[in-house]
Amino acid sequence: MAIDMSMPVLVVDDYNTMIRIIRNLLKQLGFEDVDDASDGSAALSKLREKRYGLVISDWNMEPMTGYELLKEVRSDPGLSKTPFIMVTAESKTENVIAAKKAGVNNYIVKPFNAQTLKTKIKAVFAE
Amino acid sequence: MALADASHFDRLVEFLKQKRDNVTFHDIISLAEVSAQSLQSFFQALDAKIYRELREIAQYIESMKHEIGALQVNDLKNSRIPAAGEELSAIVRATEEATNTIMECAEALMAAGASDPAAYKALVDEKMMVVFEACSFQDITGQRIAKVVETLEHIEQRVARFADVMQAKDIDGFLSSHERSRAERKEKLLLNGPPLAGDGVDQSGVDKIFA
Repeated sequence: MAIDMSMPVLVVDDYNTMIRIIRNLLKQLGFEDVDDASDGSAALSKLREKRYGLVISDWNMEPMTGYELLKEVRSDPGLSKTPFIMVTAESKTENVIAAKKAGVNNYIVKPFNAQTLKTKIKAVFAE
Repeated sequence: MALADASHFDRLVEFLKQKRDNVTFHDIISLAEVSAQSLQSFFQALDAKIYRELREIAQYIESMKHEIGALQVNDLKNSRIPAAGEELSAIVRATEEATNTIMECAEALMAAGASDPAAYKALVDEKMMVVFEACSFQDITGQRIAKVVETLEHIEQRVARFADVMQAKDIDGFLSSHERSRAERKEKLLLNGPPLAGDGVDQSGVDKIFA
């Protein structure tokens, strides 16, 4: 399945530097419509206002974590099909398994490179 | 506590065994005298025992005061820990500034057109110099981290000595409701933080789970 490069992407991270890195990488990959949010609750508001084609979220944020955001997204009938990639330093096996059970489409461990992000995005849209 | 030694009451018991019938006023006075004499030795022993125990408690309190003094808690609270916090804040600021500077250079180069090779080369040279300069943060942050590590070692040595001398045992629980709720949140939401090398799975391990 070809990836629609014009689809809006929402990047969720509480570190501006990481948002900037992911935004630049996405730009390099061809994505132009990239928004950001600093935690799960801010992301949820944006997701309910605009239709995003992909969510790329950190795990460890306050007040709402990326894990909570993922569960909210999957339990919301209007958002449940939104592709969701977790990009996080939380790399214990229990985290990965919990995210998979909660319905994450893919999981990237920080620090990561452009190739990994590209591969995972492709894999999500090939599902 | 074995304060009530039977020997203290032997005379009293002996008196009572002998006089069971026809109790007179004289008998009562005699009983009172025997009781007073018997209890006197009992209270003398009791006084000595209590005195010894109070002296041990006083020595323990004195020793504890010395150990608490050796912890230098006021120095830690008022000077060392705040200074370490300031060092860490400075590290965060320095790394953030350096990252932003480097990213600005990268973004400028990505946005620049290469139609004029000479101008593009000059821009690359200029931005690379800025990147080199920005990387100098590493030397200063290294020194700041060394100061924080020194503070941690200082605290560790004193706390370890205190725990050994006091034969301290840990008590389960939390100091405050805030601490409890933070711990419960971490556990519930699997907020483990970045693991040390070898403690988590790498990307290939993650990919196996998703395969």
